[in-house]
Amino acid sequence: MLDAVTSLFPWITNGPLIVVQVMSGLSVAMFLFLVSVGMSLIFGVTRIVNLAHGSFYMVGAYLMVTLVETLPQHAAMFWVALLLAPLGVGLLGGIIEVTLLRRIYHREPLLQLILTFGLILVIGTLVLIVWGPDNKSVARPDALAGSVRIFGQPFPSYYLLVLGLAPVVAIALWIVFYRTRWGMLIRAATVDREMLGALGVDVATLYTQVFIFGSWLAGLGGALSAPTVAVALGMDGDVLTTAFVVVVIGGLGSFAGSFISALLVGELQSFGILVFPAVSIVLLFAIMAVVLIVRPWGLLGRPEE
Amino acid sequence: MRLRLRSTLAGFGVVALLGVLPGPDRAAAQPKPIKIGEINSYSGVATVYTFPYKEGLAMATKEINDAGGVLGRPLEFLHRDDKLKPDEAVKAARELTLQDKVDFLAGCISSSVGLALSAYAKDAKVLYFATHCQTSRLTWDDGHRYVAHTTNNVNQYVRVAAKKAATLPIKKWANISPDYEYGHNMWEEFSTYLKKLKPDVEFVQLNWPKLGETDHSSYITALLQSGAEGLFSSVWGAQSIAFVKQARPFGLFEKMRFVAPSVGNPDELDPLGKEAPVGAIATPFAWYDAGLHKRHPKLEAWTKKYTEWATAKGLKDPQPKLGASWGYASAYIIAEAIKRAKSTDTEKVIGVLSEGFEMDFPWGKVVMRGCDQQALPPQWLGVVKLDAQGKPFATDIEEVQGKEVARSCEEVKDLRAAAAAKQKK
Repeated sequence: MLDAVTSLFPWITNGPLIVVQVMSGLSVAMFLFLVSVGMSLIFGVTRIVNLAHGSFYMVGAYLMVTLVETLPQHAAMFWVALLLAPLGVGLLGGIIEVTLLRRIYHREPLLQLILTFGLILVIGTLVLIVWGPDNKSVARPDALAGSVRIFGQPFPSYYLLVLGLAPVVAIALWIVFYRTRWGMLIRAATVDREMLGALGVDVATLYTQVFIFGSWLAGLGGALSAPTVAVALGMDGDVLTTAFVVVVIGGLGSFAGSFISALLVGELQSFGILVFPAVSIVLLFAIMAVVLIVRPWGLLGRPEE
Repeated sequence: MRLRLRSTLAGFGVVALLGVLPGPDRAAAQPKPIKIGEINSYSGVATVYTFPYKEGLAMATKEINDAGGVLGRPLEFLHRDDKLKPDEAVKAARELTLQDKVDFLAGCISSSVGLALSAYAKDAKVLYFATHCQTSRLTWDDGHRYVAHTTNNVNQYVRVAAKKAATLPIKKWANISPDYEYGHNMWEEFSTYLKKLKPDVEFVQLNWPKLGETDHSSYITALLQSGAEGLFSSVWGAQSIAFVKQARPFGLFEKMRFVAPSVGNPDELDPLGKEAPVGAIATPFAWYDAGLHKRHPKLEAWTKKYTEWATAKGLKDPQPKLGASWGYASAYIIAEAIKRAKSTDTEKVIGVLSEGFEMDFPWGKVVMRGCDQQALPPQWLGVVKLDAQGKPFATDIEEVQGKEVARSCEEVKDLRAAAAAKQKK
């Protein structure tokens, strides 16, 4: 029996390999979490499916390119850029919320989809005009350019940063949501925004803040991914589908759901590739289909009343 | 007084109107241009390739027209944006033929757009020059007399890469290719040709990430355990840059020889910088190569001219990338076909194409083969290295003629027969 298994999956007895495969799955998961949690948050509060989320991610990555190029050459400047780029995206998100989205919260969802879809086209074209059509890239900071050995297998040290940072973001989000007044208001807004308004809370400002925060998270995902991908036109669409699926699996509006969903997708994909490399393209959607059949509102989402 | 003002105004109005109206047939003095409807992707992701292509095409058109045009008439390209969508492309093709009354159609970067335009051309009996996309189905499986392909197809450069791979002391090959028509076509061509040249090769761990996948970590760790000594990749563009950046720190390129046709071109190497996959075998357009300059004495001057042209046109990166040479060659091949036909009549031009001809370009001889109306240009093979400043480039350039590797006319006949039989079913 064991022989049959090992001949089918020769890697199963290779402990170090399994550890590295788990680790690579984890790093996939952490990137997924960072790029999707902002989308989930914005939907939870404003009920807007922000299709431009991938565009914010793209702008974060492009800002990272420009900042790393223009800031003085110094090892610390990568970190300064990593701090500034998401702030720039947050600002962009704020401007878009105040000038555009604010006008359509009470309109039908179709209109909201058309608006955020339009934003994809507008932002994509602006990026083409500002940065040009050529592929760009950000070098990893020297300290994280190489790899570390895990049970003798090389593992990129930059991913350790991501593996460390994403849980920090998750814990920080949890503290903000469950231990601060602002977080309490956000949770209240996801349940009943009319009631919250009636109680004298300035819901409009709260929405703006949440949208800025969600955009900042998208920008952070983009800035952090920039050294591991090509910064190029089209990265908005590539990330949007994946982020959307992760959010749907986790339950729209639930950040803990996004975290669990990202882990699930990352690890299943990682081992799926090892076992059936040919089906990896459908795996993401297969997971979504299974979850939605069992729980149509996602893992930790709430059913619509 | 008031009346006078009014009549003055009316007078101005009449004069203004006259100005707008066409004068005594001024247009007739100049010869009518030969119009070619050119459909390509001029917004979004593909612009990294299509902007240099468009400038190459424009530069050649200007050269042709400055030299007196074709049959004494200037050549004029009417550009339309297909937004990478086959239906948009066909819509544009219909408008161009019916309203703008163009003489020919040209264009495509996406293979699916190319195939859709080819199907339209066959239906509407318009001659279509595929100038930028690369699927071999265009002129082979789905070929017909109303389509001609002015650039190389997948088959030619993959076979050049496979030929090189067969000379390496490597038995176990793995694959990573995007999961769509092009990726499967590439792996199929590479693996079958390699197996034919070196029957004892084995294929392990065939990876099919989706087109546009951003994170390949899990594929990379799976490849590491596969025991493969060689890796073929047809992942291209931004996705290829991402794959290389992710694979390098895992030590993948130390473990296996990397063969990736697209990775030797500067649109991938320049962003990669010192993270480039040194030692990778690629099939680049190496306009900068001193050896090529020696073999093709006109290449250096052409490179300089194009760079100046593209700079003047405001391209952020004016290097003569692959697309530039394709655009340039396409305009000349179209002009040559019309010149030889001595007419813009579709059937007469097809007559010329079906006989075939050869043309000299700054980078060597391009054969337009008659049996399939397919261009067979020279192909290049190179190895990625870093220069003294740490800038990557493809070097040790070898030249292989397209006609030496491409499927023969008989093979193409078989492919068409097989495709026709499949359609009947």
